[in-house]
Amino acid sequence: MLAGAGGILGLVLLLLGAAFRTRGRAPDEGRDVKVWIVGLGLGFTMSVLAALTVYGVYSGQQLMPRDGTDVVSVQAEARRWSWSFAYADRPGHITDGIMHIPAGRPVDVAITSADVVHSFWVPRLAGKLDAIPGHVNTIRIEADMPGTYEGLTAEYNGPGYSDHGFAVIAHDPQAWADFVAGGDR
Amino acid sequence: MKDVLRILLPLLVWLASFSAIYGLHGIGCAAGWPDVALAGSSLFRLALLAAWIAAIVLQVAILIALRSTRFRADEGFAYRVSVALAWVGVVAILWTLFPLATVAECRVMG
Amino acid sequence: MTALRRHRRLSAIWASEPGWKGWTSSVNHTDLGRMFLATSFFFFFVGGVLAMLVRAQLATPHSAFADAGAFSQFFTMHGTIMMFLFAIPTFEGLAIYLLPKLLGTRDLAFPRLTAYGYWCYVFGGSMLLVAMVLGIAPDGGWFMYPPLTGPLHSPGINTDFWLIGITFVEISAIAAAVELTVSILKYRAPGMSLDKMPIFAWYALVTALMILTGFPPLILGSVLLELERAFGLPFFQVELGGDSLLWQHLFWLFGHPEVYIIFLPAAGVISTIIPVMARTTLLGYGWIVASAVALAFLSFGLWVHHMFTTGIPFMGLAFFSAASTLVAVPTGVQVFAWIGTLWKGRPELHLPMLHILGFFVTFLIGGLTGVMVAVVPFDWQVHDTAFVTAHLHYVLFGGFVFPILAGIYYWLPLFSGRRRFFRLGELAFALIFLGFHGTFLAMHWVGLLGQRRRIETYDAETGWGTINLISSISSFVMAIGLAMVLVDLLIHAFVSVRAARNPWKAGSLEWASMSPPPPYNFASLPQVDTRDPLHGDPDLPNRLARGEGYLGDPATDRRETLTVSIGAARPDFMVIYPGNTRLPIVMAAVTGLFFLSILLKLYWVTPLALAGVAALAVVWVWRLGTQMDQGPQEAGRGVTLPLAGETEKSPGWWGSVFLLVANATFFGSLLFGYAFLWTVAPGWPPQEWLAPSLLEFGAGTLAAVIAMLALRFAIRRNRRHGGALPRLALALGATAVTALVFATLLVRLPPADGHAYAATLFVLGAYGLFHALLVGLMLAFVIARVRRGYASAVRVAEFHIVLLWTDYLAGITVLSLLAAHVPGVLA
Repeated sequence: MLAGAGGILGLVLLLLGAAFRTRGRAPDEGRDVKVWIVGLGLGFTMSVLAALTVYGVYSGQQLMPRDGTDVVSVQAEARRWSWSFAYADRPGHITDGIMHIPAGRPVDVAITSADVVHSFWVPRLAGKLDAIPGHVNTIRIEADMPGTYEGLTAEYNGPGYSDHGFAVIAHDPQAWADFVAGGDR
Repeated sequence: MKDVLRILLPLLVWLASFSAIYGLHGIGCAAGWPDVALAGSSLFRLALLAAWIAAIVLQVAILIALRSTRFRADEGFAYRVSVALAWVGVVAILWTLFPLATVAECRVMG
Repeated sequence: MTALRRHRRLSAIWASEPGWKGWTSSVNHTDLGRMFLATSFFFFFVGGVLAMLVRAQLATPHSAFADAGAFSQFFTMHGTIMMFLFAIPTFEGLAIYLLPKLLGTRDLAFPRLTAYGYWCYVFGGSMLLVAMVLGIAPDGGWFMYPPLTGPLHSPGINTDFWLIGITFVEISAIAAAVELTVSILKYRAPGMSLDKMPIFAWYALVTALMILTGFPPLILGSVLLELERAFGLPFFQVELGGDSLLWQHLFWLFGHPEVYIIFLPAAGVISTIIPVMARTTLLGYGWIVASAVALAFLSFGLWVHHMFTTGIPFMGLAFFSAASTLVAVPTGVQVFAWIGTLWKGRPELHLPMLHILGFFVTFLIGGLTGVMVAVVPFDWQVHDTAFVTAHLHYVLFGGFVFPILAGIYYWLPLFSGRRRFFRLGELAFALIFLGFHGTFLAMHWVGLLGQRRRIETYDAETGWGTINLISSISSFVMAIGLAMVLVDLLIHAFVSVRAARNPWKAGSLEWASMSPPPPYNFASLPQVDTRDPLHGDPDLPNRLARGEGYLGDPATDRRETLTVSIGAARPDFMVIYPGNTRLPIVMAAVTGLFFLSILLKLYWVTPLALAGVAALAVVWVWRLGTQMDQGPQEAGRGVTLPLAGETEKSPGWWGSVFLLVANATFFGSLLFGYAFLWTVAPGWPPQEWLAPSLLEFGAGTLAAVIAMLALRFAIRRNRRHGGALPRLALALGATAVTALVFATLLVRLPPADGHAYAATLFVLGAYGLFHALLVGLMLAFVIARVRRGYASAVRVAEFHIVLLWTDYLAGITVLSLLAAHVPGVLA
């Protein structure tokens, strides 16, 4: 996408620069309209954008969560300025500031807010989804490798915004089993 | 003033159709239409498709009307601009609403 | 009459009062345009200083320069000032200054309204400045998302300053938009048909129509949020049936068109300057007009793309993603038309052209990153990072500031009648260009690395320190460049080198009057038959000065101009303008008192201020008109025209039409909000409905219909000389019944602070009551005018204006009563 954008930028700037060279061509309004407005303005822009639009919608479609049998469910609730997480596999257990997930399995995080609008963002795992009071939004994430991932809040929510974040710990199957069983994590 | 209205009309209608179909999509999702099976598809998809086709027909009708001897602008400039914008209306209704034919129903991305 | 004597005579009629007194009483568009521009650039300076403070804080990790509270005020006020107090007013100022000159007429449609809008802008902007100086400025981000900005989480007065101050300023935007629309459609030189209008006028027309339909949703949002904050009406509180997403919809319904409201006037400047700099004509005039109109409409179908991360179903996102890419097509058409124009001619690299080149580079990059952000998966990663901040600065600085600087240097010889002496502007351009790209390329980069917007510090381990430092240093380079522009303009004001008239050899009419322009613009009004009148007839300025056009021989001390038919521009009426007056500034001050009383919660002042505004409004309109039929007037060149007050579709009628367009958008947004809360908010249905009442519904509908009919009968009787009064009285009585119906509705409602349902109906009822009282006031006014002899079978303008408002009242009455009663019936 970046290369394409760079190419278009280069092309247009080239055309712009070339306007300043001297030349002795008789002006012809009809031809100019055909070349510049119909050809470049409509034809060129529309074909590039149509391709991009179809690609965008298609690739977005690919990112949609699919039904699976081994999906893990986590509930995330944001408030100023902390996050707490509850687990379908371990009812009643709530962790503050740390979200535990199994590595290599899809996880549905149901996000909501106790006060203002926040946004749930684990840059290395997925895009953002807002935490909105009264609504529950679900995001599908999946960590390929066990480890710790940084999570952030991405919607301004007042003076504690800069440091408002959480950590995601992805466990290997054994450690996840321990966690679900009530291991001291 | 009539010529100005002719220039404004095609895309005003697009905006109304676009917003209405987006609204219909919201209502459909809230009311659970995707789960109502109908003629090999769902009530949701068919309702949206029907609305889309109606909107396309409307947009084409405006294009034809603005080119017709009865409703066209009297003056050359307003005629050219209004017909160009009627074409924009047709392209816009196709372009902006094509996802309703292909995309999954009501799933929130994530 | 010689040209010099004509100049002296017209100057005496049109001049403002001398000295500072003239500032407060002038209604002249040249004066007010200059004042608008000076004020908006003052706010540009303030907003720029705030940006410097933001960059100073972010230059290094763990900076202790500002704490989180101060920092949040910096970035909120920076965005707010640049959007509402710089960009929009700069458009208004430029259009107010230029349009009558471009269109070949003497002033805008409603001179006193120009002044009123200006003072609303000054007073509203001052409220925000005061808040900033006192350290209690808004701090919730310039888009003010509740519940963060709601009463619970922002109990201070900070947010109220934003909601009330910005709404006050928006009065000036709506006033200017109504005025510009009517002026462009009606106040043109004879013969300037729609296809011969200067391209800037087309852009200004489209922009003005966008303001009329884009601002009302935000005004509604601000009113609702302020009602929630002040009186606990829970529109955005989820526990009580509200929903914070409603604000996001209303805000971005305004917010996305806003981007194009800012860009389109700049595109108008570009389309004006490029052909002149390339010694040719604009390529594809009709295509550009069509693109501008297409852009305007498409931009209203994009608002949800600011809400891609709020959990909207993917299909909805896909609609708006597709619309967001489509909007780039008309932009592309314009960009290629401009480049084609340059190819067609022989471009010369004067200073305005440098800024245009700066625009091309910057805006293209901004447009391309914009298309990237329109792609949903990409937006998901960069949303709310510095990447988006950088993108929007490329679009707004590239698409607005560069073109405006080009415009300032282009029209500078017209403003002052002088030419530049030092070549400071070229150096300034280089600094601005390099500084800008240094600042924001770096910001794209840290954004991609994951730096969120609006954080006040970051850790050194992130590795963002160097990039941010580059960004901050570059931003100071840019600031020095902008300061040099200011110095250049100051030098220009003091070092006088007379310029020749029309130094760029342009073809449009603003160069046909003197530089600096006299208060009357044109000694006589031209007959136009090409798009570039000065190219077709280089002697035109002299012929106009000799009085060879229309209205060249003022018979009395009246300020005269004429209006034309909208399409073909045939002269239709003569207009007599009001003279210098302090009524606008007084009215703006009393309007300010109204806003201030709400801000400071001095609610006993509020009704007094409202009554004051109403009284001044009556004085305002009472001063127009005459007690005698004037008959056709001599307009020069063998043309006689009736006065505008002796017609059915007077300027005031047209103004009312477009004001009602904005008003109807407001009402429509309110109905949208009602439907939105109903379908989306979690806390519905409410526990208690309004009990439906057939009596209330029937009485309201019947009264509305009776008022409409009675006024029509009154108009018919008036045309037959007399007998209008009883019918006017009947219309007034029926309107009183409408008011009563809305009052009982308000009384019968469940408590408005209990649920968003009752709160919304409360606003609907109050809106209806307000309009019923307004129409009642108008009808009482017309009755008084008839009794005092201000109306006759010929002088009918006021009847038809009131008829518009009566019909509008009938429409909203029926819709409001349906919205209030039907749910109760169904339940």
